[in-house]
Amino acid sequence: MSGRIAARLDQLGIALPPPFPPRGSYVGAVVTGHLVYVAGQGPIIDGKPGYVGKLGRDLSVEDGYKAARQTGLQILAEVQHAVPGGLDRVTRAVKLFGLVNCTADFTDQARVINGVSDLMAEIFGEAGKHARVAVGAETLPFGIAVEIDGIFEIE
Amino acid sequence: MAGKIDARLRELGITLPAPAKPAGNYVGYVVTGNLVFLSGQLPFEDGKVKVTGKVGKDVTIEQAQAAARLVALNTLANLREACGGDLDRVRRCVKVGGFVNATPDFTQPPQVINGFSDLLAEVFGDIAKHARFAIGTNSLPLGAVVEVDAVFEIA
Repeated sequence: MSGRIAARLDQLGIALPPPFPPRGSYVGAVVTGHLVYVAGQGPIIDGKPGYVGKLGRDLSVEDGYKAARQTGLQILAEVQHAVPGGLDRVTRAVKLFGLVNCTADFTDQARVINGVSDLMAEIFGEAGKHARVAVGAETLPFGIAVEIDGIFEIE
Repeated sequence: MAGKIDARLRELGITLPAPAKPAGNYVGYVVTGNLVFLSGQLPFEDGKVKVTGKVGKDVTIEQAQAAARLVALNTLANLREACGGDLDRVRRCVKVGGFVNATPDFTQPPQVINGFSDLLAEVFGDIAKHARFAIGTNSLPLGAVVEVDAVFEIA
């Protein structure tokens, strides 16, 4: 990977993971007009779901934040893979939707999803400032702590 | 006639709140092409979440509908800013995603989210008619009883 965003990732000491293979009849990202819709991603470590567990019971907010950040890397990997020219063509992170696997009394979803929002700001600067939705969920695929999908604008 | 929607708001006795400043690396809305993607809105009033708890346990359907109506006011406050102060630029409400903080046996999220959809219809008339999903979930940020995600088309 080369270019402006590759240089920024290098600077931050970040290596993008490989895209996670879809587990069904769908794809990781779809380009339509000037928008890229990214499928829900999770925190994958060494090719397997990581950060498995519930906020409010198994994982601390700090670990949830790291899970969200790791998920952000999967999101970026999908965009890099799906868009000809890759991440350098991103003009805006438009929207991120974060689900937090949590107990019914856990109300700090925002602090957890900050993990992905902060990552986008680090990588893209002002262009990384997205609209955001954060909610709790009773259960997520493979029991992962967070699932996040996104929409990006490209030139 | 300029200011048609503002006049309608006055007619309805509605004063929109000031849009809340996000407490993180994200923004209240993103305009991309002719679409406005709004961040998830909560039932904020005077800087606090006005209605917390779960429908089916702490909060009645009517109270949750009123909270959803309050969410709509917060949504419109952000939308007005996205439109540069001119809500007459709104062409259509495109899509709404409604989340209701509820007990697992609560099956009427659509009724709750009608509080949001109905407010839009009162303000915008026919162009308010949107595609929608309304679901229950086990937890929402700050314990809010409802959160709504919306996308609009503007001129």
